[in-house]
Amino acid sequence: MGRKAFVFDIARCSGCYCCQLACKDEHCGNDFTPIAAPQPDIGQFWVKVKDYVNGSAPKVAVHYVPEMCNHCEKCALLAIAKDGDVYRREDGLIIIDPVKAKGHKELATACPYGAVYWNAELDIPQKCTGCAHLLDNGYKLPRCVEMCATGALQFGDTDDPAMQDLIEGATVLKPETGCAPQVYYRNIPGKFIAGTVYDPVEKEVLIGARVRAINGGKLYMTHTDEYGDFWFKDLAVGVFDVYVEAKGYKTKVFTGLRTRECVNLGDIALEKE
Amino acid sequence: MPNTKVDIKADKRVLKAASLMGPSAGLPTVVESDKDGKITRIRPFYYDENHDWESKNPWKIEARGSSFEPPRHSLPASYYLTYKKRVYSNNRVRYPLKRVDWDPNGERNPQNRGKSRYVRISWDEATDIIAKELLRIRDKYGMSAVLAEADMHGEGKHIAPSHGCMNRLLSLLGGYTVQMRNQDSWEGYSWGSKNVWGGEPVGEMQPSGNLWPDIAKNAELLLFWAGDPEVTAVGFDGYMASRLSQWIHSLGIKFVHIDPALNFSGCYLADKWIPIQPNTDAALYLGIIYLWLKEGLYDKEYVKTHAVGYEEFFDYVLGKADGEPKTPAWASEKTGVPEWTIKALARDWAHKVTSVTIGNGGPGIRGAYSTEPARLQSICLSMQGLGKPGRHQAKWIEWNLHTDTFPMPHQGKKAIDLPHRCEIVRPAGSQKDLNATGLLGRVKEKERQEALAKQAALIAGKEYKPEDQEAKENKEKAAAGSNAAAFFAKGKEEGRYRLSESAAAIEELAEICKTTENPPMQSVPKCLVHDAILKDQISWYGLYSFCGPASEQWEEHVFPVEGCSRIHAIWTDAPCMVTCWNDGFNFVKAVRSEEIEFIIAQQPWLENDCLLADIVLPVQTKFEMDDISDDKGGGVMCTVFRERPACPPVGESLDDFDCVAEVARKISPEIFNAYTNGDKPKERVIELFWQGCSVHDLDVDDEFHKYDMFILPCDPDIQDFKLHPPGLRRFAEDPENHPLSTPTGKLEFTSTGIKENFPDDPERPPYPKWVESSELHDERLSSPRAKNYPLLCMSNHGRWRFHANLDDITWNREVETMKIRAKDGYQYEPAWLSPKTAEARGIKHGDIVKIFNERGTVLCAAYVTPRVVDGVVYVDHGSRFDPIDAEKLDRGGAINLITPHAITSKNATGMVVSGFLVEVAAVTDEEMEGWKKQYPEAFARKVDEACGVCLDGWMIDEKKEA
Repeated sequence: MGRKAFVFDIARCSGCYCCQLACKDEHCGNDFTPIAAPQPDIGQFWVKVKDYVNGSAPKVAVHYVPEMCNHCEKCALLAIAKDGDVYRREDGLIIIDPVKAKGHKELATACPYGAVYWNAELDIPQKCTGCAHLLDNGYKLPRCVEMCATGALQFGDTDDPAMQDLIEGATVLKPETGCAPQVYYRNIPGKFIAGTVYDPVEKEVLIGARVRAINGGKLYMTHTDEYGDFWFKDLAVGVFDVYVEAKGYKTKVFTGLRTRECVNLGDIALEKE
Repeated sequence: MPNTKVDIKADKRVLKAASLMGPSAGLPTVVESDKDGKITRIRPFYYDENHDWESKNPWKIEARGSSFEPPRHSLPASYYLTYKKRVYSNNRVRYPLKRVDWDPNGERNPQNRGKSRYVRISWDEATDIIAKELLRIRDKYGMSAVLAEADMHGEGKHIAPSHGCMNRLLSLLGGYTVQMRNQDSWEGYSWGSKNVWGGEPVGEMQPSGNLWPDIAKNAELLLFWAGDPEVTAVGFDGYMASRLSQWIHSLGIKFVHIDPALNFSGCYLADKWIPIQPNTDAALYLGIIYLWLKEGLYDKEYVKTHAVGYEEFFDYVLGKADGEPKTPAWASEKTGVPEWTIKALARDWAHKVTSVTIGNGGPGIRGAYSTEPARLQSICLSMQGLGKPGRHQAKWIEWNLHTDTFPMPHQGKKAIDLPHRCEIVRPAGSQKDLNATGLLGRVKEKERQEALAKQAALIAGKEYKPEDQEAKENKEKAAAGSNAAAFFAKGKEEGRYRLSESAAAIEELAEICKTTENPPMQSVPKCLVHDAILKDQISWYGLYSFCGPASEQWEEHVFPVEGCSRIHAIWTDAPCMVTCWNDGFNFVKAVRSEEIEFIIAQQPWLENDCLLADIVLPVQTKFEMDDISDDKGGGVMCTVFRERPACPPVGESLDDFDCVAEVARKISPEIFNAYTNGDKPKERVIELFWQGCSVHDLDVDDEFHKYDMFILPCDPDIQDFKLHPPGLRRFAEDPENHPLSTPTGKLEFTSTGIKENFPDDPERPPYPKWVESSELHDERLSSPRAKNYPLLCMSNHGRWRFHANLDDITWNREVETMKIRAKDGYQYEPAWLSPKTAEARGIKHGDIVKIFNERGTVLCAAYVTPRVVDGVVYVDHGSRFDPIDAEKLDRGGAINLITPHAITSKNATGMVVSGFLVEVAAVTDEEMEGWKKQYPEAFARKVDEACGVCLDGWMIDEKKEA
């Protein structure tokens, strides 16, 4: 049997937060000891959706990333586990035993992803269990995955070829931790540079204008669309020079654009030659 | 590894319908509970759990080498996933309540409504008081003194519906005044577009069968205008709209969102966002039309053969009528959209096969003069060949309404039609009844019947011939029916209540559903209730029936009707006026009038208008009830299913029907018997509803009784465009034989009806115009008022609420677009501001802010985001009223407290709740401290850390008081 893994495709996520909420429905006020003690009503997020809003009006891009326990191959909690307070199941899921981990506050701070919460009332650390209590009872999917209406969040066995295809080319969060997470992300967008090109005299957009972005000798090229818009998407963080050219117009150059944040160049007026 | 298997077997597992639409229900969900009767989890329903999936002929849309199929499980929205928090909310009304300083035998203190707290009383005491008060009011003023506020939305319940149970009792007592719901989320289409394309009953494009398969095959561009598939659709139909919009987009069809904010659909699917200043859409359409006229970019032949009254309209656009050409430059000034972008949009629309998609609500359709953008949208679509392949107005929701064939390729040979037990939103009964009460005045019956008959023919795909027997029958049906649905009604049409053929055939069922003898005696539009109370007399046009045909818009009505009383008591089961309707603070002032002697609210939660009531009755949520439901709109498969109780009643709550029955019991045994049909057992009522739901004869294997669930097989021929042409295809191909329901049967760029009835109306003229301001509204940036109130406030349906529902879900309240916990620990409603708008006011993300105008002040927390255009503040409606001063200052973020008072326009009886002038400022610590000193009682109320406004906060702490 392979390990259980999650794959999340950002491009298919509508931002409904049902993964976050389904987890609450399953765990808040429900006791599944020894897999999980009840989650407090508010304050803990065993799945937490983060929204990222980039750019400025009207060139704005939004995406959502759910974060949860990565059930890492090299779990930082396992490294400090004692007396079975944290363990890995045969299916790879990492479980904090709510009885044995009582008082073990160090577990709440050990995870480099911040996926573990401290429940002061019960005096225990808590986190996502992959809904192991459901899987043990014949369920195929954790609640968060089952509730994903658009199929953005998937769950399965790493030895399943379909899962392997999904994992291929996917990334993990903070790979530098070296923990080898088992939650994979597809289509995490990079930064963008965008704008609208127009003729300020005719008050017309320029369609088909050539726009080039250059970063350290690497060239990206596109043409403006029916709205005079151009987008360079999925750019790395870096410094770019952008050239906007249209036949019969003076070229406009933007140099030293930094893509730490997404860049909206706004409505760019090109003057006639 | 330890043995850690946990026993998770549910003690009980029932089905519940997930929809807050109201009378119609929704997607089946599975609700599990434990041995203590506590709800443990809510999950999607799997259609193949007991049923053979393939035998149901599951539908499939195929287009451009791709296919779209239903999932094997339902797609309930977050609203239902989290519903156990609603059932067990700290805001639940757990027992009958009485306002502490309201004494039916002494001082009634109406001035303290919204301020004074409540004490617990027994059911016996509560029903005694209500029965005595009703009889007292009947003796003193007559039954017309009682206003019944019973209209949508709310939980979809059937044998004890959320709305209208009291109407049944009030009828038995001699009648009442009915609150007529205005077309709250589609005002512009109803009062505007109907006069262009008919589109009965709601004014959006009809028929709408097979639209999505046609769009998938043929469209190249979708314009998202007024509506968000990720918002309103979710409350009605779950997440099918998300899946559908993703699939349509994946086919390479371009999405352009036109909206002051980048809405929740746009932020992950839009190829282009065109931000526009709120309620300036009319100018954008005019600029587009101007360019089409100048460049010849429209379907001239189509306009010539399918439209009337276009010459004078085109003259207006070109400036020949008023000397002001509606150029893209002119439109740019009004809308804030760059001139070049307007031109680009106009050309893209003309060059590509384009549909406009809507979803009810949205900032574009609920502003002042919303008739104008709606009519202009209809005209733009008409100019590009409306009804031809891929050219429609399509809706992301309500796939269960209006037509026999779905825009989604749904269902079977028959449509499900569950009976309703109580009359709601219809002002009165048959034509005869109305004439007898004098309510009707002078309805142009001939025109009304003709329009309905034409629409019936159009939807049925039959040629319309006035002399036809069928047309005649349709006319008769239209005449008999009290609501616009009559034109596709096939059942017995006698009396006021429309029952399907199968329901009407069951005598015992017909008896249950028969509305009692006395119709309402007069009506008040919901958007004019405050005026009805505060003014001597009011008059308005239309709203004779809910969603009645356009010809009703010319009829004037008055309140009070001669011989009827003014309002002295209110019974509400839809207590959301302050947070969902117009000028909520004025509504508070109205119900504080000495004239209003008694207010009863019946509601599961102590929220909004409940805080103005004198008696509050505790109602069960649908999770506690035994019921039957259907799903016609969820878009997966159509189903009828039994809804058994998921848990015991919370507190002393009763279902809506029984709340009223307990009052009936106190009035007399005869009234009780008449109200309850001899105390007919619920089990029997449910069985009768099943037998009368129009499809029970298809259930040859008795699946319904075996599995509590009947899945209607899909009709394999439903996508045959020859049998079921998409949208207005028949009209597009043969307008003479398939006329629209407009007076001319054509697309009326200049409206025959308006020209005849209101030729000089400056706000809704015969052909649509740009209206800068008028006697009724002065809500533009050009107004002198903009000096003090320089921002436009826009509002939509909420992402995390359904209108006033679900504001107390603790888990949703942890999402930042739902609530923001500010530095004082209070969870405020987010007010969206652009970085520039916020910075200009020294406002930072998360700051407590006040939004204010002459009508009052609402507190929110700043949500600073580039997703909203500069110069705008965006707050969704439906946040719960948490009054500091109930007439002018609210902490709950109920933005409709300060929406404009006046109706859509003088002759269009809608409401205006988006696109109005306000200012926003940060609330300083000194100011907050000042309020705390001035209103110590308000700040002393307990606010729940997780759910906000709560029952405890409004109860007298008797120990402390002692």
